[in-house]
Amino acid sequence: MSADTTPEIHSAAESVEPTDTVDETAQSASPSRVEEEGDVAADYLEELLDIADVDGDIDIEVRNGRTYISIDAEEESATLQELVGRDGEVLEALQELTRLSVLSATGNRSRLVLDITGYRVERNGELNRIAEEAVAKVKNDGVAVALAPMGAYERKIVHDAVADLGFASESEGEGPNRHIVVSATE
Amino acid sequence: MLADALEHLVRGIVDSPEDVKVTAKNNRRGETLEVHVHQDDLGRVIGRQGRTARALRTVIAALAGGESVRVDVVDTDRRR
Repeated sequence: MSADTTPEIHSAAESVEPTDTVDETAQSASPSRVEEEGDVAADYLEELLDIADVDGDIDIEVRNGRTYISIDAEEESATLQELVGRDGEVLEALQELTRLSVLSATGNRSRLVLDITGYRVERNGELNRIAEEAVAKVKNDGVAVALAPMGAYERKIVHDAVADLGFASESEGEGPNRHIVVSATE
Repeated sequence: MLADALEHLVRGIVDSPEDVKVTAKNNRRGETLEVHVHQDDLGRVIGRQGRTARALRTVIAALAGGESVRVDVVDTDRRR
C-alpha cells in the first residue's frame, strides 16, 4: 500500500529552474563549494566516457558562480554527437543526471551547465538570431510574436537577448509547450 | 558496456551506490537492462513524473547507437 505512494524525490530537475526569471545572483556558493561541484560532475562524466570508450576532454569553468562543463574531442566523434542528440535532447538528459550526481555527492542543488562539442555555444548564436528576428517583426508589424517552445535554459537566453534589444518577453503555455512571446514594451 | 554505463550513471545519483545492480536480459525484442536499487533510492532513480528514469533511458539509448534497449527500474523488495 505504502509502496504505491509517489516517492518523494529531491528531483533537482524541475525545481532547479522553476521559472525563466531565475535570479542569477541567488546562488551564493562559496568558491570551494563551486570547485567541489565541478570536480564531482567531471568525475561522473569522465567515468562514463571511459566506460563507453569515448575520447573527450572535459573542461570545467566557473563564470558568475555557475559551473560550466564542456566535453570536446580533437577529432569529430560520432559518439559525442550521439550524446548531444537531436535538438540537444541527450545533452539535456546527461546534464540533468550530472546535476543529480552533484546533489547526491554534496547535498547541494546544482545548476551547472553541460556542453558537448560546442552545441550550446552554437545554439546560443541561433537563439540570439531568433530573438533579433522576433524583435524586428514586432517593430515592423506592431504585433506580438510567439516563438517555438523551448526549455528553461534556452528561454532565459532569449529573454535576456530580447531585453538587451529593449523589448519585452514573457513565457506562456505549460510544460513542453512553454514558449516565449515577444512584444513591445509599454 | 551499456549495463556498466547504466550502473555508473545510477550509482552516482543514489544514497546507496553499493546496492545498485544492473542486469542485462536478452529477448526477442532486444536487450532489457534491469536496474536494482535500494528501496529508499527508488524515488531518486525514477524522479518526479519519471523524469530521472527518462533521462537514464535517453542517455542509454544514445550510447546504444540505434539498437533497441529497454531500461526497467525494479523495486527489489517487491519482486514477484
